Amino acid sequence: MSDDYLWDKTGQPDPEIQQLEEILGTLRYQPKPLDVPRDLVVRRRRSYIPLLAIAASLLLALLAGGIWLRLRTHSDIPPQQALMETPKPEPPRTKSAPNPPVVVANNIKHRHRSASSAARDNEALEAKEQLLLALRVTTEKLSLVQKKTQIRNQHRVG
Amino acid sequence: MIKPTLIFLLIITAGMVARAQDSRLQMSSLDHLAAKASQTVDVSLDERLTRLAARVLSDKDADEKAVKKLIEGIKGIYVKSFEFDADGQYVAADVEAIRSQLRGPGWTRLVNVTSKKEGNVEVYTLFNGDQIGGLAVLVAEDRELTIVNIVGPVDLDKLAKLEGQFGVPDLGIEQKKKNDEK
Repeated sequence: MSDDYLWDKTGQPDPEIQQLEEILGTLRYQPKPLDVPRDLVVRRRRSYIPLLAIAASLLLALLAGGIWLRLRTHSDIPPQQALMETPKPEPPRTKSAPNPPVVVANNIKHRHRSASSAARDNEALEAKEQLLLALRVTTEKLSLVQKKTQIRNQHRVG
Repeated sequence: MIKPTLIFLLIITAGMVARAQDSRLQMSSLDHLAAKASQTVDVSLDERLTRLAARVLSDKDADEKAVKKLIEGIKGIYVKSFEFDADGQYVAADVEAIRSQLRGPGWTRLVNVTSKKEGNVEVYTLFNGDQIGGLAVLVAEDRELTIVNIVGPVDLDKLAKLEGQFGVPDLGIEQKKKNDEK
């Protein structure tokens, strides 16, 4: 037997090969028209890329909003009380009226308003104390700068 | 879909750039020093609190009136000062964290006094065009670290006028400024 039969089906065939061809020939491809079932519903495959892009944009927007809010609230946080002790200002008292009359207000709204204004006043006084403390430190340090600059200049002149 | 994302990213970047040009220094990296310090001063006054403080400053008292004028337009005053009982309680990296911000655009070092014995004293100003948009003072001594940061237009003339009040010494700022103008 020559190998030509196996290569291009020329030459003398081998009976064993022929037998195998016959057996396997039943499984050979047989052209026939495509039989599509009538009840088959064709669905288009959806592209999720635009949806993913929208979701990513929203996520980014939320993230940025969160960061912005955090930064905003951080800057709005009332300052920590300075550890350096400073004398607290006493509320102004007049000699003519040492004990001001207590007015009992039944109006809850009014009470709330006065409480909030008192809190605001306290906050303002605390802010003032802190401001003066900050200015004191600032000017002290600027004075130090001036002294050191003068000393350096004297050394240079000397 | 790419366009809105790009616009969104541009908006975020613009916001970040605007923030970077702010004269406020980030000083939270120094908070850990409070545990080591024998005395700490931590003042953080934003624009709202500065305005609130200005509201209760008296117009009748000359000193308070001067302070009121000084803080007009100021957007914040931040002070962190640590005093230690021993040397070496803070490291160079702590100072560098602040100094690196002062190397940013706009900041100019006006004064730098370096002393091996007494440490460093530096004064910086941030210029927005011709106007001063911020002031920073950095004092780094063996047993003390102080950072002062004033955000907003600092009027050196007004600061000079404040000298001598509240125990504020005469800095000669006005004279120096006039000399510079000549």
